[in-house]
Amino acid sequence: MLRHKLIALLIVVALLWIGLPIERSQAADPVTITYWHTMSPAETEQLAKLIELFQKANPGIKVEPTVYAYDDFKKALLTAIAGGQAPDAIRMDIVWVPQFAQQGALMQLDSALPDFKKIADSVFPGPLATNLWNGKYWGLPLDTNTQVLLWNQKAFEAAGIKAPPATIQEFAEDACKLTNGTKQYGYALGGTYFWAPAPLFYAMGGKIVDDKLTTATGYVNSKESVVAFQMLVDLYKKGCLSPNLLGGGVGTAQGHATGLYSMIIDGPWMVDIYKKDFPDFKVNFAPIPTGPDGKSSSVVGGEDVVISAATQHPKEALAWAQYLVSEEAQLFMAKVGVMPVLKSLTGSKDLPPYFEVFMKQLETAQARVPHPKWSEMDDALNTAFQKMLKDGKPVQDALDEAAKTIDGLLAAK
Amino acid sequence: MSQANLNVDSRRASASITVKPRLRLSAQQVTPYLFLLPGIILFVTFILWPMLYSLRISFYDWNIVKAERSVYVGLQNYQDALDDPIFQRAASNTLFYVLVTVPGQMIFGTLAALLLNQRFPGRALFRTLYYLPVITSWVIVTLLFEFLFNGQAGLINSILESAGLIREPIRWLADSRLIMIPLTLLGIWKGIGWTAVIVLAGLQSIPMQLYEAAAVDGAGTRQRFTSVTLPLLRPTLVFLVVVLTIGAMNVYISGLLMTRGGDPMNESHFVLTWMDKQTFENFKFGQGAAISYLLTAVVFVVSLVQIRLLQREVDYT
Repeated sequence: MLRHKLIALLIVVALLWIGLPIERSQAADPVTITYWHTMSPAETEQLAKLIELFQKANPGIKVEPTVYAYDDFKKALLTAIAGGQAPDAIRMDIVWVPQFAQQGALMQLDSALPDFKKIADSVFPGPLATNLWNGKYWGLPLDTNTQVLLWNQKAFEAAGIKAPPATIQEFAEDACKLTNGTKQYGYALGGTYFWAPAPLFYAMGGKIVDDKLTTATGYVNSKESVVAFQMLVDLYKKGCLSPNLLGGGVGTAQGHATGLYSMIIDGPWMVDIYKKDFPDFKVNFAPIPTGPDGKSSSVVGGEDVVISAATQHPKEALAWAQYLVSEEAQLFMAKVGVMPVLKSLTGSKDLPPYFEVFMKQLETAQARVPHPKWSEMDDALNTAFQKMLKDGKPVQDALDEAAKTIDGLLAAK
Repeated sequence: MSQANLNVDSRRASASITVKPRLRLSAQQVTPYLFLLPGIILFVTFILWPMLYSLRISFYDWNIVKAERSVYVGLQNYQDALDDPIFQRAASNTLFYVLVTVPGQMIFGTLAALLLNQRFPGRALFRTLYYLPVITSWVIVTLLFEFLFNGQAGLINSILESAGLIREPIRWLADSRLIMIPLTLLGIWKGIGWTAVIVLAGLQSIPMQLYEAAAVDGAGTRQRFTSVTLPLLRPTLVFLVVVLTIGAMNVYISGLLMTRGGDPMNESHFVLTWMDKQTFENFKFGQGAAISYLLTAVVFVVSLVQIRLLQREVDYT
């Protein structure tokens, strides 16, 4: 009997303990907001210092950052959102914003932030546009980037070419001059996903859809778009474009530094990659060569900061997001290679010198289709490009097919 | 507390309960369930409940943020999945993978087990070596195979080239058919060790007398293998076929990494990598759940058929 009483007593004590309210002095404790991101180790370190600055200025708020690997991030976010455990603020890839907004996972910021208009006016229009879905803004631009031409000076000198190509025509000619069988290729792409050919595609006047996102027919299969892909297919057929883009080859970063690929097109992070992996290699940047109309262009990349629709601390999360686009925060992160989105910082002496070519390129760079179904559109373009290269499918036919697929995606609710 | 005391206690406890007729379960009847409870809670929370929940998702156009916004679509997700050429291709790729890797693992695993069952110096070392691939992470060995089969700088190509077997490098990973070669080789190589361990256990449970009796009856090595070893290994082999088939149908990580999510042209997907892409890349949660359930149904039916077909009793008594 004693045993039973003992057990009963234990259970009562346990229940009491579980039910006991946890004491907290609500006024004094700061509100903790969670912030998830996918920054590099160097950027993450800098972010920790930035958070300290923010917390000093805002003693009522504590920011708790969590870093994820880019490839796991979408899954981690979806799991957290589905489980009602979404972080308060998130730094996410610009092409994900419409997709998460459509799910209803994000807070609409143009109505929630009183200063939204002022912020919108202070940032580059390209990055800002990536937050727009369904006529409303779901995030703030956080950092931006674009791709420019990287040219291997040694290879150029050996081939007797003095300067990087200024026009697409020169680019195509140089690519073949810089090719030597399978030992050296003039140009290499990282893959067939749209990000890779996008800079040349846009520079040559290519378009995927109309500005109102209603149709791809007449855009992705327009004359300009066809000519752009045709140029790449021709380079591939002549052996001036490395076959690595189809998969299972030497990566572009490594191949460029070792002289296998004389030209690649890539982003500002290459500086840090080469500093670490190929410290002796000198990186040379140049603008994307100009298309037939004499204009250069490229593709906008980067991240936006968004607020979870389910946040318990909207005020604090908004304050953090707003701080991230402040001049102080933008300059602070620029020190580790994060490109700012503020117009006022163009030409700033506090920015690393290699930013200049990227900032200049950003003036003409274009955003990919801001649509929740972008990943499927990307897939359609990827497939079209693969068919041109592997099956020898005529460029026009492949893009006609892609136009049809993308039209279907635009029409679907 | 001593054993005797415990017994007295429990007797006293049950005695006191029988006095009160209101309680139907005696402490002794309840105890096993109490011990099972933690396991059952875990099973229900992390396996049964998610399974039923995803079954529900598969009938909806699911919204992950607000479940109440989801639209019921009946069997539409299943219909769409089956009609999708990418799914069909993924299913046939998976079937191919099963048909190649399951016999491959069985044959090489059994051979390895027969070798490792012999007495020879360094046997323990070899047993360890054969098991090494099994405990190595899928991610690491997949990357390793990617390096080996690299189209521009891979070891396999350079061996084939120096042996004069090929003139131009083969781009293994750029072709949806060729890429199945490294994928299936990886599957077989990684599974041999585990298969061998199971077969080895089966081999060691065969009584030596049977071999002696067979030898007395004049059976040679080959006959002893076909008349004694194989029939007595049958339960082990049935188990292996079923488990390896289920495992092969669930092929995922190697495909995800090596094909970069179904590249080229979504033609090199397995069922699960396509499920992953539809769910987490394209946000088609209902579609993803439906694909999972289609796979589950196939695994279930195939396993039943295999067990029925292969499990015949062997009686040597």
